Amino acid sequence: MSETAENLKILVCTGTGGLASGAAEVVKAFEAEFEKHGVAGKIGNACDVNGTGCRGLCANDVLVDVCMPGQEPVTYDFVTPELVPQIVEGHILGEGPLEKKVAGPYYGKFLEKQQRIIFSRCGTIDAESLDDFLAHKGFTGIRKAVKMTPDEVIEEVKKAGLRGRGGGGFPTGVKWSFCKASPGDYKYLICNADEGDPGAFMDRSILEGDPYGVIEGMMIAAYAIGCRNGYVYVRAEYPLAIKRLQKAIDTCVEKGILGPDCMGLGFEFNLRIKAGAGAFVCGEETALMASIEGQRGMSRPRPPFPAVRGLWGKPTNINNVETFANVSYIFYNGADWYSSIGTDGTKGTKIFALTGKVKHTGLVEVPAGTTMKEVIYDVCGGILNNRKFKAVQAGGPSGGCLPEHALDAEVDYDSLIKAGAMMGSGGLVVMDETTCMVDIARFFLNFTRVESCGKCIPCRIGLKIMLEILERICAGEGREGDIELLEDMAYDIKKSSLCGLGQTAPNPVLSTIRYFRHEYEAHIQKKECPSHSCKPLLHFTVIEDKCKKCGMCPRVCPVDAISWEKGQVAKIDLDKCTRCTSCYDACRFMAIE
Amino acid sequence: MVNLTIDGKQVTTSKTSTIYEAARDNGIHIPVLCYAKKLFPYGACRICLVEVEQMKGRLIPSCTTPVTEGMVITTMSDEIRKVRKTVLEFLLVNHVLDCPVCDKGGECDLQDLAYEYEVTGNRFEGEKFDLPTDEENPLIERNMNRCVLCGKCVRVCDEVVGFGAYSFINRGFETKIATSFDRGLNCEFCGQCISMCPVGALLPKPFKFKARPWQLTEVDSVCGYCGNGCTLTMGIKDNEVETIRFNDKTGVNDGNLCIRGRFGYSYVNSKERLTKPLLRKNDEFREISWNEAFALLVSKLKEAGSKAGIISGARLTNEELLLVKTLTRAVGTGNLDHSGGECYKGVSEGLFETLGIRASTATFPQVENCNAILAIRSDFYETHPVFGMVVNQAIRRNEAKLTVIADKNGKLGRLPQARTLLHKPGLELNVLNALCHVLIEEGLTKTEGVDGLAELKTALAGYSPEAVAESCGVDAQALKETAREFAAAENAAVLLAYGLPYTAYSKELAIAAANLALLLGLPGREGSGLYLCGEKANSQGAIDLGILPDKDGLGVVPMLKSAAAGKLDLLYLIGEDPLVSYPDRDLVAAALVKPFVVVQDLFMSATAQHADLVLPAASFAEKDGTFTNAERRIQRLRPGIKSPGEAQTDFAILRQLLDLLGHVAPATVASAFAELGREVSAYAGIELAQVGAQGYVWGGETLAPQKRQLVPVAGGQALDVPYQLLVGSALYHSGTVSVHARGPQAVVPEAYIEVCREDAKALALGDGDRIRLTAQEGAIEAVVKIDRRLPQGVLFAPYHFAELGLNRIYQGQPAIAVTPTKV
Repeated sequence: MSETAENLKILVCTGTGGLASGAAEVVKAFEAEFEKHGVAGKIGNACDVNGTGCRGLCANDVLVDVCMPGQEPVTYDFVTPELVPQIVEGHILGEGPLEKKVAGPYYGKFLEKQQRIIFSRCGTIDAESLDDFLAHKGFTGIRKAVKMTPDEVIEEVKKAGLRGRGGGGFPTGVKWSFCKASPGDYKYLICNADEGDPGAFMDRSILEGDPYGVIEGMMIAAYAIGCRNGYVYVRAEYPLAIKRLQKAIDTCVEKGILGPDCMGLGFEFNLRIKAGAGAFVCGEETALMASIEGQRGMSRPRPPFPAVRGLWGKPTNINNVETFANVSYIFYNGADWYSSIGTDGTKGTKIFALTGKVKHTGLVEVPAGTTMKEVIYDVCGGILNNRKFKAVQAGGPSGGCLPEHALDAEVDYDSLIKAGAMMGSGGLVVMDETTCMVDIARFFLNFTRVESCGKCIPCRIGLKIMLEILERICAGEGREGDIELLEDMAYDIKKSSLCGLGQTAPNPVLSTIRYFRHEYEAHIQKKECPSHSCKPLLHFTVIEDKCKKCGMCPRVCPVDAISWEKGQVAKIDLDKCTRCTSCYDACRFMAIE
Repeated sequence: MVNLTIDGKQVTTSKTSTIYEAARDNGIHIPVLCYAKKLFPYGACRICLVEVEQMKGRLIPSCTTPVTEGMVITTMSDEIRKVRKTVLEFLLVNHVLDCPVCDKGGECDLQDLAYEYEVTGNRFEGEKFDLPTDEENPLIERNMNRCVLCGKCVRVCDEVVGFGAYSFINRGFETKIATSFDRGLNCEFCGQCISMCPVGALLPKPFKFKARPWQLTEVDSVCGYCGNGCTLTMGIKDNEVETIRFNDKTGVNDGNLCIRGRFGYSYVNSKERLTKPLLRKNDEFREISWNEAFALLVSKLKEAGSKAGIISGARLTNEELLLVKTLTRAVGTGNLDHSGGECYKGVSEGLFETLGIRASTATFPQVENCNAILAIRSDFYETHPVFGMVVNQAIRRNEAKLTVIADKNGKLGRLPQARTLLHKPGLELNVLNALCHVLIEEGLTKTEGVDGLAELKTALAGYSPEAVAESCGVDAQALKETAREFAAAENAAVLLAYGLPYTAYSKELAIAAANLALLLGLPGREGSGLYLCGEKANSQGAIDLGILPDKDGLGVVPMLKSAAAGKLDLLYLIGEDPLVSYPDRDLVAAALVKPFVVVQDLFMSATAQHADLVLPAASFAEKDGTFTNAERRIQRLRPGIKSPGEAQTDFAILRQLLDLLGHVAPATVASAFAELGREVSAYAGIELAQVGAQGYVWGGETLAPQKRQLVPVAGGQALDVPYQLLVGSALYHSGTVSVHARGPQAVVPEAYIEVCREDAKALALGDGDRIRLTAQEGAIEAVVKIDRRLPQGVLFAPYHFAELGLNRIYQGQPAIAVTPTKV
């Protein structure tokens, strides 16, 4: 994955995922081991142990690249500190890669269909090193940009066809031109890093792995629009991202890259971080601005749009982290190169965060136009435990569930909307046959209901009522007409809510009803959960043919609901049963269902 | 202007309008719940959704969306009706629906909307709110179970009042409106939130279970307290004013009121009102008939002739004041004055000397568009709260920069970006002189047509910002910045409040303020102005009508001295309680001994107890007539109730007196109003019919000064004592009448002495302890209130309370040297 190095380089993923799996200890172990063996002396080269950003395959952390001078780098996965001495002794000082420990062919496959552009620096460079960044095209984009007029810069972004990666997909260049056209000499630039969708973490990885790249993208935007001040709104739950970005900003200020005369290029741009307090709605741009102003994070009506009247009442341009990261690369390689990637409507690559019942969870970056099937099966290795695929929730709590037959949808803005989902921030939650779709709709609605800011009535009260209906369906108390009522109120809530949160919150319900109506009907009419997931609807019975009369189930039952006598088939008293599934889990003969 | 189509109707509207406003102005009804004319667009309730052809695919909130050229709007369709109804159903799921006992029933927006949209059933179900009601404060009941979270209370308290008592807390369905730390409400109690609440979540406690809205007769009148002249609507049932109601459609104050206006009405219904003329016999009062009273008074007046003195209050109507003036002529005396003499007289004289006029040069709404505002006197917000709200809105809407010249911190100084030039007590003049100094030295003046610049420059030589900083404790840099800011402002306003507790150097203060305004070129400039804000509802009218001594007559202080010396035979006090409210109680008390004293008032006041004859008069709620407010706006009072017992309006009493004196006087309010023009040229040609809901501003929106004369005034000298007492107005009271009103009394029931934390610590005082202040002339005693707004060594006492006897030590000086001791 990494290029060959002159020095011996050990690249350890120290993103949040890596660190959670013990990357810090792995780094220490390498350093200790090098010290112990005097490796530098032995191989005649300096040895660097670099902490890098996320590599994507978070499921297999800690990922370590060993880059020997003049050799192809070798990637190890599931590295623990205990494994480090083996790698150092066996590989670096020994005969070569430890075949058994090297990441399997799936790692190659994981990378094969990806086109890692935005992530090209994540996982290869030391995220905290400005020198490393500069050695990888760093700040060449802004140098190119300032040779153009601001209008030409915006034209270039328009030509590249970049669309906002925050979810809406609004053409970035057009957005910039609005803000530039707004009268006033005091304008703000905001980077939205309040990534709140459950299961989405690409913005965090970019900030952790390539903070300078985001700063550069913002500088280009600031130059083009004429913003003198910028904010990066990062949620406080991302301490590592904040730490690295703050360090990068500090370094940039110290070196004069940011400040009254950025890099001596003749424009002013100051940047600071505002840590969000964890409200999902603050990802909505007007609520985000209210939050920066120190107000309660509540959405404001648009128009006036931020480009006209935004932060502190001044014209404001706000883009997502990934968007700014894309901007840098447009200026490294040119708009023509950029627009050659992707589909007609969606240019460039898109990063997806895969979670759920998929083999290789993590971050993947694919060119727009790749099909959903390719992402799930080819890149991420398909469904866990060889179960059957059921659906994928695309676009977070605002998106929709796509069933198997919709998997041929290409991942671009328009195709996904056509299929009934949305790009959103790029979270993909994969569900298998054991997942109940009513329960999933309930899960997402529970999230949005709690995260509603409480300002507008449909979102504040409507979502709670929808949730209560879903809860009663899951509890087996659904009524005839509930589905129609849900559809009807979902429509009204979408139509009447103030901001994106309420306007999209009913989507998971609508898309699950659209594709899995039969599951809803089974819950309501037959009081059954086809996926055996809704506990109140589970009826445990012993299958007489399969029961070996072993007496295990009565022993594990915590409420004595199972009667059994030696040599007899066990019996479950459903009145006493609390549906805890202890017996189901304990039975070795699959005799309980 | 923008052209658009609403429901097929071609409409032209201003380009700053929203869709809702364009529709409303053209008679097209769109329902709203969270919209309010005076607040920023909010867009929470989603009731006002409409369809816009250019924005297909979603419904557009009409109250927040600005109009654009060529918009085609549909305000009602099946879909719109359905969505609005769904929203109402949502609201009603959790609403307590206790309409039968809710005081809002009958004028509740939610009720009306549910009716309009025929929400007869509800497809949804859910839990009802069950939150405790906030009963801790005496005036505002908060029942959050009825709240629809329109946020109007939060917004009005922030955007208009500038207090910020409320905020949203929690998220999602659990969102609710709360006070800080979710404790009981403790605020200014202006009741703006009550006026804005579309449902019964916020209610005036004194009005609870008093009347159904439809049982009330509504009468628009003018508030009888301060010189702001707010329009208010009395809600009347059974000849009692039961409540004061919100009205943002008529009048001048957008429905904004302060605690006095909204809750200070109950004194008019008081059982303690005087109902019969009373005559003193020995030490007791005896009820007499009006005929006896008139006969006695007429003979006494005739007897006294030029030895009679008349002191009038400034809460009489213009027409009554005209009769007061006529009475002096009928009696043949020149001894006439109104409230506090030196203060009112001084301010108007100072202004006359510099500008040749005796009134504010511009109107209140112009302040909203000012870029820089200077408020002189720290108690400005306390004396004129609703004008203070206008200032707040200038800051919020126009990013105006506010500077306060004050001897203590206050509400205005806490507004966004406000700057307080905090000086030692008694040095306002020095600070104003320093500002003038900077303007002249830095060449920032606009002095075309201004006389006396050279003399002023010479006189101000000692008032460099550095020198004044040294003597006053103000930051020199802040002084310079203030002056520069005002010079650069396109529109600026200088506000000066005056009143009974602020009598020291009042003439000089008016001159100094006028000097500054002249150097900035404010008087007569459209959008800018110098504002003279009188303490009482008709202070300006009294000045306009010249309720002042004629050239040989005596003003208040000489009159009192004369009376004390036995040189006056009769003292006629109309609507004044000088024993409590005038400086120098000993002088007032001495003046009441020898002459025949007549007091005409609502209550048996402290002064009335020393009178020989007491006449029962009427309150503002019983009067027809006009007041002129501090912006020169003549406004009409309308009688809402009948006076109790035999009490009569001052107009009726004075007219009968004049009849008996054989003097021809106008018989009706209308004819008296017509006569005003003959007395005051500025009122000439104004018809009573022209005094509509917006009143009538004499002299026009911008009053040009008659001259522009700079007059040097010397600054003051700070007291060099460890403790000094300031006298002033408290926000919750106005003059001495409000102590008879239950609302203000519920919040501030008794006199207090305010002490800062540091002093309280040094004197080992806690809240509620008693403190004694000993001055040269005597001592006063009251409970301690610890606050943060006072500088160290400075104490404060409000002047409204008779029992405090504040004027035993207050002689009209800017600050009183005192020795505090814990009692």
